[in-house]
Amino acid sequence: MMGSQRLLNQETMKPKRVGATLGRLSRYFAPYVLVLLVVAALIVGSTWAQVYSPELIGQATDCYIAPAVARSAVTNGTGGAAIPGMDNLAEQMGGESASKSNCWWAADLAPDADNDALISGLLRLVLVVVALYVGTSIFSGLQFFLMTWAGNHVLRNLREEVFRHIHRLSLGYYSKNEAGDIMSRITNDMDTLQQAMNFALLQVLGGVLLIVWIIYKMLTLNLAYALISMTVVPVMILATLWFSAQARKAFRKTRQEIGNVNANLQESISGVREVQAFAREDANIENFRVSNAANRDANIRAVAYTSALAPTLEALGYVAIAIVVGVGGVYLLRGQSLGGALVSLGLMVTFLGYVQRFNQPIQQVSVLWTNIQSAVAGAERIFGLLDEEPDIVEAPNPVKMGQIQGRVEFRDVTLEYNPGELVLRGVNLTAEPGQTVAIVGPTGAGKTTIINLIPRFYDAKSGSVSIDGINVRDMQLDSLRRQIGIVLQDSFLFSDTVMNNIRFGRPEASDEEVIAAAQLAHADDFINSLSEGYQTVLGERGGGLSQGQRQLLAIARAALANPRILILDEATSSVDTRTERQIQAALEVLLAGRTSFVIAHRLSTIRNADQVMVLQDGVIAERGTHTELLDKRGAYYDLYMSQFQKEEA
Amino acid sequence: MFQRRKRGDKGQGGRPKANFRDLGRAIRYLGTYKRLTIFAYLFLFISTGAQLMVPQLVQNVLDAVTNGLIAKQIANVPANALPTVLDRLSWSSDQFDTFVNRPEVALYWAIVFIVIFAVARGAFAFSQTFIAEQVSQGVAFDFRNELFEKIQRLSFSYHDRNRTGQLMIRATDDVEKLRGFIGQGLLMAVQAFALLTGTLAILLFTNFRLTLVILPILPLALILFMIFGTVAQPLFAAVQVRLSRLNTILQENLAGIKVVKAFVRESQEQAKFHVAAEDLMNQGITVGKVFSFLFPVIFMLANLGQAAILYFGGVQIIDSSLTFGEWQKFSLYLIYVFFPIGQLGFIISQMSQASASATRIFEILDAQNEVVNKPDAAPLSAISGKLAFDDVTFRYFGGGDPVLSNISFAAEPGQTVALLGATGSGKSTIINLIPRFYDVSEGSLTIDGIDVRDVTLDSLRSQIGIVLQETNLFTGSVRDNIAFGRPDATDEEVIAAAKAAAAHDFIMSFPDGYKTSVGERGSTLSGGQKQRVAIARALLLDPRILILDDSTSSVDLATEATIQRALDKLMQGRTSIVIAQRISTVRNADQIIVLDKGRIVGVGTHTELMETNPIYAEIFSSQLVEDAVMDDGGSENGGSDNGGAGEKEMALAG
Repeated sequence: MMGSQRLLNQETMKPKRVGATLGRLSRYFAPYVLVLLVVAALIVGSTWAQVYSPELIGQATDCYIAPAVARSAVTNGTGGAAIPGMDNLAEQMGGESASKSNCWWAADLAPDADNDALISGLLRLVLVVVALYVGTSIFSGLQFFLMTWAGNHVLRNLREEVFRHIHRLSLGYYSKNEAGDIMSRITNDMDTLQQAMNFALLQVLGGVLLIVWIIYKMLTLNLAYALISMTVVPVMILATLWFSAQARKAFRKTRQEIGNVNANLQESISGVREVQAFAREDANIENFRVSNAANRDANIRAVAYTSALAPTLEALGYVAIAIVVGVGGVYLLRGQSLGGALVSLGLMVTFLGYVQRFNQPIQQVSVLWTNIQSAVAGAERIFGLLDEEPDIVEAPNPVKMGQIQGRVEFRDVTLEYNPGELVLRGVNLTAEPGQTVAIVGPTGAGKTTIINLIPRFYDAKSGSVSIDGINVRDMQLDSLRRQIGIVLQDSFLFSDTVMNNIRFGRPEASDEEVIAAAQLAHADDFINSLSEGYQTVLGERGGGLSQGQRQLLAIARAALANPRILILDEATSSVDTRTERQIQAALEVLLAGRTSFVIAHRLSTIRNADQVMVLQDGVIAERGTHTELLDKRGAYYDLYMSQFQKEEA
Repeated sequence: MFQRRKRGDKGQGGRPKANFRDLGRAIRYLGTYKRLTIFAYLFLFISTGAQLMVPQLVQNVLDAVTNGLIAKQIANVPANALPTVLDRLSWSSDQFDTFVNRPEVALYWAIVFIVIFAVARGAFAFSQTFIAEQVSQGVAFDFRNELFEKIQRLSFSYHDRNRTGQLMIRATDDVEKLRGFIGQGLLMAVQAFALLTGTLAILLFTNFRLTLVILPILPLALILFMIFGTVAQPLFAAVQVRLSRLNTILQENLAGIKVVKAFVRESQEQAKFHVAAEDLMNQGITVGKVFSFLFPVIFMLANLGQAAILYFGGVQIIDSSLTFGEWQKFSLYLIYVFFPIGQLGFIISQMSQASASATRIFEILDAQNEVVNKPDAAPLSAISGKLAFDDVTFRYFGGGDPVLSNISFAAEPGQTVALLGATGSGKSTIINLIPRFYDVSEGSLTIDGIDVRDVTLDSLRSQIGIVLQETNLFTGSVRDNIAFGRPDATDEEVIAAAKAAAAHDFIMSFPDGYKTSVGERGSTLSGGQKQRVAIARALLLDPRILILDDSTSSVDLATEATIQRALDKLMQGRTSIVIAQRISTVRNADQIIVLDKGRIVGVGTHTELMETNPIYAEIFSSQLVEDAVMDDGGSENGGSDNGGAGEKEMALAG
């Protein structure tokens, strides 16, 4: 019940193209088809055993118990002296006729078989039942294991395929889709898929098969008795469907409310300093109380449905039992035939066993069915992601670039992210090997776009970007990108050791080389002050380090990669004095001797640049050195003055 | 930092030590819902009783059937033998009459009662679960409120030591675990126990020998369930650990895709992912292995119990020491035995988790708040803004090396004091002491001559405005955020504050203006916009004392200029304590305090310090190097440029 509550609480999604998705999903199972066939056989086997065992118990009743029940009147277990004139009574009563005719297991059992014969017959039958039970357990254990095994393999393959694909997709895709969204979609979809494959699929298949088989069995054993006995089944199904649907609706509300509670907690705790600074504690506590209460009430409402389902089904189950024994008993007593046959004690016992087996699979199937639906929808979305084609693909016979000189040339480059919205409009520039090009301009002018074209993160719409005279589109991407180093503003680091983070671009670098690069980047000092030096494991995204320290690591990383072309997005955020000085010094070393493109925020960088490009609205409005541009008194001058003016205002 | 995290992880992931005293204390929270709780337990017993009746009634039906059948046979017995037969069956002749002529009456009554008890069972079981949910949600509600209130009021030193994520987990996961146990687990345990003892009592009473046959299976089942309970948790936890490892790689590759591509790391990252995916898969298969063994074994045990009844019960029927009805009753009751055993096994593992959660929750609730109102604290009346540090020394958490040593300075009303020094020199600590985010360890801090520890926190803090470098905004509209410290402010006041903070224009450029909702942590606003909202927020308080971190991060040059002007306006006429990053701030300050390793190493104006204080000169030339370069850059380019700048400035001032 706890489990079903959790499952009902999951978001359900409706798949759109079930057939196509299932077809495609089944292809992932192809390598494990043998295993699946075995699983299918095991399901059939264990279901058969579950259907067969109540029938056997019925046989035990009709063949061995019913004669004894009848005879008890005469013998009363003591084997007492025969009653005068009743010599053949035992034989007469040796089988109430319905049981006798219903007993096929031991049809040849003599009507006057003694107790020992009955007991030994019963023992043989019970041993068969035990064998069935043991077999069922082994079968269901095996099927569960094999399914988990196959499902986990399929998921691993799918996961790795998705992962490879996200590397193939170009940056254009990531600018349109938030990393967080992609992430939560992949994880959620994989999660539902995993649940479905490991658990739900098996349960639903087994459950449906069991219900259908039992119904079939009951109908063939005695049509009329079966129909009467199963009257509650449709009610059970309807009740389950209705309660589950209501519960799902109600749980949707609880998800919202718990989301509110969490958001409220999150911001009130992370912003606690401000809350206290503005003496907002009481107001916040009151706010929280409101969303907390809404969450409580939504949960209570939702649970009203889930907590009604189990008792309803249980009560219906008792009613089913009452119908089986009531109707069966009345017909037995009257000796009337029902559905053309006599009802025997054994048939009653068999039916009693069957109606008790309805309850659980109905509940499970209804709950898990939506889980499977969601899984198919999830698979559909994962396939949707896999079907995304990367914009950037290598040319058929790409040029594998050897050591480049570093001459970068833009010719009439235009670019648009969205059709009709030109971000670059005819950019021309040439950077000679070893030159530093500073790019300045307001936010949105296209500075980042320019630098994104060099490692071919995007393709120009028209015009060309070439390095050493070769168009980047003709190059083998790896050989191009290996020669370009990038230091970004937010210096993305990975949750790995400091050593591996620096080694990122050159995995084969030795520890000594890493340390040398760190020294070059002035990062060595702070790294050594970390608890485990170079072996310190960084938190996610470099958590635990200051922004300045992260920058130093990013610089070391780029330095180790020793690229011919360097791309640098200078950080604007304030770092403390010492670090700032270290960053400056490190950058100077890093820039020396490489062709460098810098989105510049520091005046010192601009002043040292060989060329300054002033970018406005996607065109280079001005170019020259710092001094030349100041003399021009144009756009750069204004930009410069606004900075200057800020200092003095 | 790293060590702290490690310690935290240990507390989180290690095997929780069950401390049942905390659990007992948590259970006492049920007291608030005494009446509901009593009803829940009352209904529980009623519904369990009804449930226990059903197999007995089934026996009655079946007995009616077999008795009728037997009676019908006996009716054929010669009259002279009848008394002997009846005697053997221990039937009276009245009974025999009923069995022969009206065998169905008993059957009908039993059926009617089954239906009645089924309905009663359903109704009471539902009521009991529903009421239990009300109680448990109520308890969770109380716990969350109490936690939230405590967390909101705990002083900075506590928050320095505890990360948001950890506190969140306590208020969500831990509360949920505790709720599950107190609200449902406890009830389930009682129910299971009642059902188990009730069933066993009936079984023993019905047929002692047959009960003995199934008795040995019970401890075996309990052991299996307990193994399951203890094994399952760590197994799932291990899957979670591996899954989150895998997700971290995925997450990093998505968020850092540019870096990955730029450094051509695809194949290495794929290799890393492969290892993690393989690892996850193997763990999943291990779980599958354990479960595919444990589940069927438990299932088989229950079935073997049924088989035992089938055989031994059958033998007893053949011996005539058991009736057919009793035999079937046994088989029905057997389900009642296994079900509660499963529940008990589950609850036992739930209990140890819940008690660990209780311990973690009470850890917060019992945390000592280091900054609290004195019992006789009076509200601080309107201040003029004279601020004095008198020989203040401060140590974090009351121990270790002092972060501030013997700090003394005074700021007259309306003065601007700039704090200057390297990271770790104690600048932030000084500003944190003023609104009493921490208490001084030694010495005193007075405002208008009154020690801050003698007044109420609210009255003190509502007269101090704070603008920090890292701006947190809160869910709600822009207006709500500006009115954060004064929710009662009029629209006019809010707009005036926004205008003064140079925020009005960009706010009006949003389609919804001041009603624009600010996403979580201000995600809809840019960094510069957030800062201006923070300035407006402080302005609206119209504080006499202002605390300011004047650095701006990640904004473009034009925005930076705008923010700077807004800040300057904010400081006018207020006592301002500023962590200075900018040369203009330093130059305009009435006093500059130069800090080094928690000590004051220089006090004075810019000019004074430039001449007398070598440390200041050092910091000035390095920390403010960028600005200085800017200055030089201007002059280097000849007088005309300077002149131009001057004109521009004049124009602005005018």
